[in-house]
Amino acid sequence: MGCLDYQMNRRAVLQASLASILGFSMRDLVALGGTDHTPTAEHVIFFWNGGGMSHIDTFDPKPGRPTGGEFDAIDTSVSGIKISQIFPEVAKVMEHCALVRSIAGVNGDHGRGTYQLQTSYNQTANLLHPGFGSVVTSEKKQLGDLPAYVTISGRAPKASYLGQKCEAYFIGGPGEKDPYLSFPEGIAAARGNQRLEVLEKFNGRFAEKSSNKELKSTQTSIDEALTLMRSPALAAFELDKVPTSQLNRYGDTPFGRGCLVARQLVETGVRFVQVNRGGFDTHMNNFPAMEAHGEIMDPALASLIADLAESGMLKKTLIVMLSEFGRTPKINKDSGRDHWPNVFTCFMAGGGIKGGTVIGSSDEDGYEPKDNPVKVSNLHASFCHALGIDPDKKVMTPLQRPFKLVEDGTPIKGLFA
Amino acid sequence: MKRWSILSASVCLSLGVLGLSVFDAHAKPPVAQKKVEKAPVDPKAEAAFREQAKKLTSGTELDKVLALENTERGIKADAMPVVDNLTFLRRVYCDLVGRIPTNEEAVAFEADQSPAKRNEIIDRLIADERFVDRWTVFYADMFRLRAQADGGGAALAWVHQAIADGMPHDEMSRRLITTNGKAGAAPEVAFVLGDNADPMILAGVTSQVFMGVRISCAQCHDHPFDVWTQENFYGFAAYFGKTQRIENQFTRTIYAKENERSTVLWPPEGKAKPDERKPMKPSFPFDTVAANETPEYIARFNALRAKQKAEREALLAKAGEKGSDVDDLLADASENEQKAKGKKQDDAITKQAKQDAKDLNIKAGLYVTSEWRTQLAELVTSPRNRFFAKNLVNRVWADLVGRGIVDPIDDFSDNNPPSHPKTLDYIADEFVASGYDLRTLVRLIVSSQVYQRAHVYGLAEQDQQDLEKSFLATPMRRMLSETLYDSIITAGHLFDVKHSPGKNMKTTWKLSQMVKPGTGRPGLALTAMKFEQKMAMNGPEMDREEAAPGLDLEKGIEINFGKVLANAKKEESKVEVEEMRVMSKEEIEAERMRAQMQTQRRGVDYIDRYVKATFDDNPKFGSSLRMSSPAAPEHFLRVFGQTDREILGETRDHAPNMRQALMMLNGQLIHEASRVGEFEPMHAVLAEQKNLDGAIKLAYREILTREPTADEIREAKTIIAAQKDQFDGMADFRWILLNCNEFRFLP
Repeated sequence: MGCLDYQMNRRAVLQASLASILGFSMRDLVALGGTDHTPTAEHVIFFWNGGGMSHIDTFDPKPGRPTGGEFDAIDTSVSGIKISQIFPEVAKVMEHCALVRSIAGVNGDHGRGTYQLQTSYNQTANLLHPGFGSVVTSEKKQLGDLPAYVTISGRAPKASYLGQKCEAYFIGGPGEKDPYLSFPEGIAAARGNQRLEVLEKFNGRFAEKSSNKELKSTQTSIDEALTLMRSPALAAFELDKVPTSQLNRYGDTPFGRGCLVARQLVETGVRFVQVNRGGFDTHMNNFPAMEAHGEIMDPALASLIADLAESGMLKKTLIVMLSEFGRTPKINKDSGRDHWPNVFTCFMAGGGIKGGTVIGSSDEDGYEPKDNPVKVSNLHASFCHALGIDPDKKVMTPLQRPFKLVEDGTPIKGLFA
Repeated sequence: MKRWSILSASVCLSLGVLGLSVFDAHAKPPVAQKKVEKAPVDPKAEAAFREQAKKLTSGTELDKVLALENTERGIKADAMPVVDNLTFLRRVYCDLVGRIPTNEEAVAFEADQSPAKRNEIIDRLIADERFVDRWTVFYADMFRLRAQADGGGAALAWVHQAIADGMPHDEMSRRLITTNGKAGAAPEVAFVLGDNADPMILAGVTSQVFMGVRISCAQCHDHPFDVWTQENFYGFAAYFGKTQRIENQFTRTIYAKENERSTVLWPPEGKAKPDERKPMKPSFPFDTVAANETPEYIARFNALRAKQKAEREALLAKAGEKGSDVDDLLADASENEQKAKGKKQDDAITKQAKQDAKDLNIKAGLYVTSEWRTQLAELVTSPRNRFFAKNLVNRVWADLVGRGIVDPIDDFSDNNPPSHPKTLDYIADEFVASGYDLRTLVRLIVSSQVYQRAHVYGLAEQDQQDLEKSFLATPMRRMLSETLYDSIITAGHLFDVKHSPGKNMKTTWKLSQMVKPGTGRPGLALTAMKFEQKMAMNGPEMDREEAAPGLDLEKGIEINFGKVLANAKKEESKVEVEEMRVMSKEEIEAERMRAQMQTQRRGVDYIDRYVKATFDDNPKFGSSLRMSSPAAPEHFLRVFGQTDREILGETRDHAPNMRQALMMLNGQLIHEASRVGEFEPMHAVLAEQKNLDGAIKLAYREILTREPTADEIREAKTIIAAQKDQFDGMADFRWILLNCNEFRFLP
């Protein structure tokens, strides 16, 4: 690796954002990567199931084996593919979905596993690699008024050396109003707008007394904020207008509401929506917990896929569901399963993948990859492939150390149509 | 920070395209132990230069050295004048104590007739408690201290105490480099534990943080742009080779300790058979002042340290004679001496002696001090290592003046020479001769004209930059995020409540989960209650979540530095930093989900109910300088540039962004600061004196530390008159002043 493969460092990118006021487009400066095919996906909905979701009890069932656990495997809309009984509705839309059943992970620790699955890199001490959502945000143009990258119900990884522009926009609970998007309580719109008018005048006058460019970018940032505050697109964050029947179809749960908001967001142009959910660290009582997870996830995920398919959005929306690792095939004395990185499953749908596909397999008890082991960064390279992002494009850290957007990965063969 | 031009980026790009092989790391012939800096400038020439500078008439000695150097560099432009008193006051308050001055402080300063009042206020601010808080932030950024890391809270508290005690920079650095021990119990160990005690990483960190030199690239290959070889790097890393981070699985204790064998082997992995790789011998690749030379500043340094040592030994001897407890005696001595001399310096010495006495106990027992790292610390912090002093001087200078003499600050290299090497040498010499005293260094800079110069405007960008690069004008700087936060609190009188109790009662409805009657055990409801309390995070009188959604992004939990240190001294195995952490919204959500999952498992039914709550909306805010840091990613401080202190070399990003705008326009902090409380002077001026002009002047002075012009008063009247209620009008006006660029950029 030579330090010469120079693209742009973070500080230069920031400078570029200043330059953009001068008529350069930051995107022009940054968009240096290239790929040799037409991207199939424009958006990503990324479900992060924190804690380490059991692969055997979800998408890689082992019926009849000692490790199989309490759930049956059920048929899906694709003959030959069986998944766990906790997903009866998802089973019905399997023709849109793909399963990578042979991820060969290496990190059995929550922190390190999460880090690698979300960034493609292994954790190191004095450096942070950007999360995949930030990679997408840095490479794909923002569409419309809403931020390009939104995370719901939990934290997304940091953008790090890709710069603050690539940080996720955080919303607490799905449907919850972001207090920072409206004037403080007690300040009516007319009064708030009056304040803003005067503020602009004050700032304009002050800027005349200085050649500092940042003064002008303060106004740009205010304008951006106002565009967002006043955008009709903000309705995509809200669920007030969603009919009850629709809410019920997704299951009126935080996760279901998260899926609904995610759908509305990608339909409004948001590039990357991360929906976080925890509670998968089932060291004890794995089966009732997974059954409960199924009840919550199944209707929401299936309805999301069906609705996006119906509206035509699924073709260009890549849905991914991941966890930091799988869980031990062996059931422990507390009826739980422990951390198991050696093999686990990634669930995908839409975004140009070949529906009804299973990539790779685990052995008969779900311990190790059997066919076609897939290393973690190949997942990210595959997401890049769908989005038309060059995974090998290099970016600079503050210390001028070049890093590829994704750590040495190649797209998974047979995953795409 | 923002001065990295797009030009330099494109130059590098084109180099990359050309693929110049001259930089090819692996084609370079091996060079053994290249040293970076040549021996310092010719002492005679240097002495002559400084003599000549002394003959100039204007400014402090520093100003004269800089002026002469500018003349030598062929700079002909005139310097901008020194700013007026109020502008100076605002600038120096923000820089030294992290907040704007109050109106009372400004009035007092204006009334002060002393011709030396600027230097006097500098001395007062340097002695202020908030100086310690403000410069803890500086050190925490530099050392990448994280409250959430192993022992990080204790390390923050330790640095705070060290600054309060006036611990010299070399001593502080030595302790961070050498200390082994248990996270939390030995606060300094957080430095090596923060990077997992990894020798390779610590080599890069040590070089960059203490000497401003980037050698990390040489870990994998000879440095492509610099003189560093991979062998240099390995030799440097070898000092940390025997250090190891241990996590006791059983007790969950984390500590750093020394092993018998070094893990840094040469040649690097893959370049030789495993059995041919031998432990690398530590070696220091930086050039230092030769041992047979004693420049004047080193002589002064040695004399000072000899004097301090003698004083300390005298104290210890006294302790021995009386045979009483060293600590008590030192405490007595300290008090007596202070009464006698009224000097802070003595306090520092006694505390130092006290600490040393304690350290003996601790170090003799539990932990073996690293012999190699002790050698390294001696080499790094020696006055003969020019990089060490220059690095800190340059960082402090950049912080105060807005641009490093070496810029970027962490890239001392032949390819990035200082703009004013003689000025840098001069300040570094003074800093060493002061015994590496931070306060002396800060005083030297802020009392100079260089620091006190006005900004320049109305020139072409290039001309402005030229003036700023020659330090003839000060660049405009946005306040540090912590300073911005504390200045809003200061201007808005929010350090204490400002409305009388019960004046701002509000009612809200809140969605709350309750146990469905007849299910579960009462204990579970308690869990939920505890959780609600966590969400509240505020005084007993107010539930913050209900009061103002999103407030948790603007408030923080204070670290009680004293308590943390006391815990460390007791060597408690765990310092409870967790409880001091700001809980962000998503953490709360995650916690709620976990709680939800648990309840599901235990077969308890929960139902959603809207609960009515009444509260008194009468908030107060604490200083951000004492908050657990770094704050949660969405927090005000982070949005305005505080880094997560993870990445080596990451500096604060002060570029405006949309998040900042949303926080300022719609945030609770500015909203509350704008509202007029009855306990504020403003209230009396409006309500009792009915003096609108006076109120407008007060607003300008409280928020912008200046008088308004007649036009500005007229304009303000129109703004205020737009509201039926004069207090609402004033709130609007203050909101505008707090939000405008003039507020957040230093004058």
